[in-house]
Amino acid sequence: MVQLTLPKNSRITEGKVWPKPDSASALREFRIYRWDPEAGGNPRMDTFYVDTEDCGPMVLDALLWIKNKVDATLTLRRSCREGICGSCAMNIDGMNTLACTKGYDEVKGAVKIYPLPHMPVVKDLVPDLTGFYAQHAFIEPWLHTVSPTPQKEWLQSRADREKLDGLYECILCACCTTSCPSYWWNGDKYLGPAALLQAYRWLIDSRDEATGERLNDLDDPFRLYRCHTIMNCAQTCPKGLNPAKAIAEIKKMMVERRL
Amino acid sequence: MAQADIRAARPLSPHLSVFRPLMTMVMSIVHRITGCGLYFGTLILAWWLLAIAAGPDAFFYASWFFSSWIGVLFLFVYTWILLHHMLGGIRHLYWDTGAGFDRASRNALAWATLIGSISLTIIVWIVGILVR
Amino acid sequence: MTMRTSLGQVRGRGTAGQGTAHFMVQRFTAIANVFLVIAFIVLIVSLTGKPYVEVRATLASPLPALIILALMLSVANHMRLGMQVVLEDYIHGDLSKIIAIALNNLYAAAIGIVCIFAILKIAFGG
Repeated sequence: MVQLTLPKNSRITEGKVWPKPDSASALREFRIYRWDPEAGGNPRMDTFYVDTEDCGPMVLDALLWIKNKVDATLTLRRSCREGICGSCAMNIDGMNTLACTKGYDEVKGAVKIYPLPHMPVVKDLVPDLTGFYAQHAFIEPWLHTVSPTPQKEWLQSRADREKLDGLYECILCACCTTSCPSYWWNGDKYLGPAALLQAYRWLIDSRDEATGERLNDLDDPFRLYRCHTIMNCAQTCPKGLNPAKAIAEIKKMMVERRL
Repeated sequence: MAQADIRAARPLSPHLSVFRPLMTMVMSIVHRITGCGLYFGTLILAWWLLAIAAGPDAFFYASWFFSSWIGVLFLFVYTWILLHHMLGGIRHLYWDTGAGFDRASRNALAWATLIGSISLTIIVWIVGILVR
Repeated sequence: MTMRTSLGQVRGRGTAGQGTAHFMVQRFTAIANVFLVIAFIVLIVSLTGKPYVEVRATLASPLPALIILALMLSVANHMRLGMQVVLEDYIHGDLSKIIAIALNNLYAAAIGIVCIFAILKIAFGG
C-alpha cells in the first residue's frame, strides 16, 4: 500500500527558536526544515527572525542572511541567484519554486520552507536528485539521426523552431516533478513532468529522426501514463512552462500513430 | 558508515502535509473519489434492475427503500457524484485535445466542474419532483 | 539496498509496449458514457413514482432497453479500466497488486453480466 503519511524516521519535530537580532524593527519569521545526517534523529523545524532591512528581497537572500549572521550550518543549494540555474528549488509557502526569484513579501505570515516534496533528504534543504537526473538521461536528450550528416547544419524552418518554445527553456530545477502526486507514489517507474517535457522537446524537434523509437520507449502504463492531468506541474513551474500540456501532446501523438 | 547505509537512513521530505491544496489538485482527487463512489454504487443500480426483472414484490421492496429518507439521501448524493464525475470527465476529454492548459483556463475549468455539478444536481432533482 | 545504477533502475525491465490501448478505450467509453448517462438520467426521472407495470413495460421497450444495455457495456468497461489505474497507483506489492486487479476485473464483469441479464430478462422474459 502506498504510504500517505511520512515514515517514522521522517516525522518532523519542533526545533530550535533562534534569537531575534537586536535593534531590528522589520522582522520576518522563517520556519525552516532542518536535518543533519551526522546528528541523525528526526528532522525538525527551526524558527529564525530575519532583519529585512539588512537583507535583499528574495527568500534566497534571507536564507543566506541566516547562514551568514545566525546559523552557518544551514545547508542549501544555490548558484546563479537569478532564476536560471535551477539549484535553489525548494518548497516555499506550499509551492515548489526557486528561492532566488520568490520575494518573501509575497508570503503572508511566517515563511515556511521545506525541501522539494517526497525526496530523500541529504541535509537540510538539499534533496537527492540522482533518480531525477537518471530519468532525464533515460529519454536521451540529444539529436538522433540516421541520415548522413549534412555539410553545414541540419536545416529547420522558423515555424518548426517555434515549436520548441516553451520546452527548451526548462532549467531542470525539479519543481514540477516533485510537485506531482503521481510521482510521489510511483517515482521509481513514472518518468515525471520534467523528463516528459524534455522527451516532448525531442519528439517535436523536426531535425530528430527517431520519433518512433522515442514514442515506443514511452508506451508503458507507468512511464507515461501515470500522468492523470493533476496539473500541479504547470501550476508550480517557476519558469512558467507547461509540462501538463507537453504530456497531453505526447498522448495525442501516441493515439494519432494508431489511427 | 558505508555509502549505501547513509542513503538508506535519509528521511523523506514531507509532501501532502506541506504542498498547497490547489483547486486543480483538489478537483483531480475528487474526480478519483467520485469515480470510486460510482464504481461501488453500480451495485445499487444492479439491484434495482434485478428487482424489476424479478417481479412486483422485489420491485415494491426496492421502491420502498428508494422512497425512504435514507434512500432519497443516497440518490441525491449519487446524482451529484455521477454529474461531478461526468463534468470532470468532459474536462479531461477537453484537455486531451490539447486545449485548456493555460493558467486562466485550467483554474476556470476546475471551478466550473464543481459549480456545474452542484447546479445540475439541483436542476435534475427539481425536474424530478415536478414531473412526479 | 540495491547497488544498481540510477539509469539501470529507470530502464527497469523495458517498456511494457502498451498503455495507449487502455487510454483509448477509457476515452471512447467516457464519450459514450456522457451520452448514455444523460439518456439514463432522463429515463430514470421519467420513471419516478410510476407503478411497476409501467416501469417494466418502459424498460422492455426497444429504446430504453438498448440504452441500458449499451450503458452497462460501456460503464462496466470504463469502471474496470478506471479502477485498474487507481490500484496500479496505490498498491505496490506484487502479490497484492495481482489479487486486487483480478478482483477488480471479476467485480466489473459481474456487474456487467448481472445487469445485462436483468435487462434481457425484462425485455424478453416473463
